[in-house]
Amino acid sequence: MTLAHRPNRVLITGVSNPLGAEVARRLAPEVPVLFGCDIADPVSALEEMDFVHADTRHTAISKLIRRLKIDTVVHLAVLVDSPHDSRAIHETDVIGSMNVLVGCAGPSSPVRRLIVKSSQAVYGASPTDPSFFSEEMAFADRPASSITADLIELEQLVGEFALRNQTCGVTVLRLGFRLSDDTTLARYLSLPIVPTFAGFDPRLQFLHEDDAAEAIVRATLGEHPGVFNVGGAGIVLLSQAIGVMGGRAAPVLLPYGRWLAQLELRALARLDVPGHLADVIAFGSVMDGSKLESEFGWKPRRSSKEVMEGLARGKEVEVVEMPSPPQEYELQVYLQRRRRGERNGARSLAAHE
Amino acid sequence: MIGETTAQERKRRSKKAEIVQPRPGLRLPKQVRRLQRRAPMYALQGLNELAVRLKQVTGHDVIDLNRVMGFVQFLYKQQELAQRGADYAVDDFGFDAQWTESFLSAFMVLYRDYWRVETTGVENVPAHGRALLVANHAGVLPWDGTMIKTAVFAEHSHPRHVRALVASMFLGMPVLSWFLRRTGQTVGHPDDTRRLLERDELVLVFPEGVRGTGKNFKDRYRLRRFGRGGFVSTAIRSRAPIIPVSVVGSEEIYPMMADLAPVAKFFGLPYFPITPFWPWLGPAGLIPLPSKWRIQFHPPVHVEEHPVEAADDQSLVMELADEIRDTIQEGIYDNLRMRRGVFL
Repeated sequence: MTLAHRPNRVLITGVSNPLGAEVARRLAPEVPVLFGCDIADPVSALEEMDFVHADTRHTAISKLIRRLKIDTVVHLAVLVDSPHDSRAIHETDVIGSMNVLVGCAGPSSPVRRLIVKSSQAVYGASPTDPSFFSEEMAFADRPASSITADLIELEQLVGEFALRNQTCGVTVLRLGFRLSDDTTLARYLSLPIVPTFAGFDPRLQFLHEDDAAEAIVRATLGEHPGVFNVGGAGIVLLSQAIGVMGGRAAPVLLPYGRWLAQLELRALARLDVPGHLADVIAFGSVMDGSKLESEFGWKPRRSSKEVMEGLARGKEVEVVEMPSPPQEYELQVYLQRRRRGERNGARSLAAHE
Repeated sequence: MIGETTAQERKRRSKKAEIVQPRPGLRLPKQVRRLQRRAPMYALQGLNELAVRLKQVTGHDVIDLNRVMGFVQFLYKQQELAQRGADYAVDDFGFDAQWTESFLSAFMVLYRDYWRVETTGVENVPAHGRALLVANHAGVLPWDGTMIKTAVFAEHSHPRHVRALVASMFLGMPVLSWFLRRTGQTVGHPDDTRRLLERDELVLVFPEGVRGTGKNFKDRYRLRRFGRGGFVSTAIRSRAPIIPVSVVGSEEIYPMMADLAPVAKFFGLPYFPITPFWPWLGPAGLIPLPSKWRIQFHPPVHVEEHPVEAADDQSLVMELADEIRDTIQEGIYDNLRMRRGVFL
């Protein structure tokens, strides 16, 4: 059993997406040294964070983890709802995570805590499923969509890693579907006329962006190994959601063959709905969050209904950081250089100023 | 938060007062509009007078005004429900109690007038707390479930909603999936049963499943295998008593002569029945026959007195399952004897 571990040098992968940026902002005052890496520039400069251009799909990331003497990795570079094609998503989710795990593995590795972002999509959605997914119900025999398959593979890799490396506490957070920053589900529900499956009214569950970030921060700062569902309390029926959004349901999708429904959605609403979401709007997906509540002593503050109403009010679009002009990145590089300079004995110079 | 809003935001939130203007086009005279408004009232008054006259002539009630009023109430409730918008409460399983209760009068007509259900032992159903109702399953379509639900809600001193477990196949079908969930049914998964019982609900389970509904008419009132006794283990784990329920009459609503298995396979159904009326008469063949029904609720079997570990003891579980099956089978024979005829 590991001793109580205090995160000292933290690396956040996928820090440039809005969730990663929010997690970094919340972690910055809590940890001594914070690194962030991504392939894209961060949307905003965070003075306390060192940004590194690194792609998790290359093995360099594992060297980076050892070189920087990282002791806590927050792995958020996991694509779930993304416009990329399934091959690119597989590369990032499975190969990228594998590289990160290689960096964390072995007795030589300084990593003592690993937090991995997963998604509700890992459960898929089908009529044979129970009404509530608890943590042990993932790993369907035949995953219905490529994202579900990727996430299952990712979680299996993480599970094997956790078994082999007992010194490293591993937390997997299955985040619920979020309705902010232009997710496919939010765009779908915001349509004026929403094509729904004829004769289906599924139960949906949503998670607020703040609660998602808060769960990740709590997992990073606390000692909570295991797999956890993170979802808002309660449910919203699809018909209710459409009513709250002020749209109209058009029951035109046929429940025979998912590709047909996807084709119809593309033709009628110009919306590319990934396979797992097409299943969700047909059969619904709700997670049981009781394990999170008992282990963390905390649960998402906003219920599914409140998240829904937030989207309807348009307040959800409240951007955490405005997209910054290009010079922001230069500024950040300058700030980093200055801090590194301070560490390298130039402190006296700064003190005299 | 109050007072922090900006003038701009307040302006955005405020709603303009709507000025209601008369609809353009032809407007009927005032007298006609008043008559339109009062038409339902006049119709009821006329019906009332007709009922009184008929009673004077024939000597007994031809038109039951209570039922007429029940029907009017039903329509009124449906109209009210249609106006409540998107903001209504459903529980975590998607159950809408208000909506379900609005259908009660429709099911009461079937219960009281069509199948003339006689219910005994409804006092064995607890007024509070959890219990697992276990019933025999018959009749091609699951009308027996609706009648058990109606019986508990209408006859019990504390009306309660029964939450039935249905085969997952039906939750994959259009309309049915939506209707079943909305009226409180959920998928027959041990985890769902446990969750419902932990919320102190009444849960109805048909251990025979489609083996019961899809059986031939010549096998009527012979119980099929009771699953693998899973319902007993779930009840023991959830500390819930089991109440056996015998239903008589459901076998005769659709006398199934044969099962066209290839057709069933093509449509993805568990069976495709051939009855004297289906599929020969088209949709009219779906009308169930007006058999005479009896429902008996047996005294509870207190399986929760066994320790939780007993749920894994397969021999005890099967023994209890057999005991419950025998109780239901004997109840069926008793009630068949008490029934004067199939349609009487």
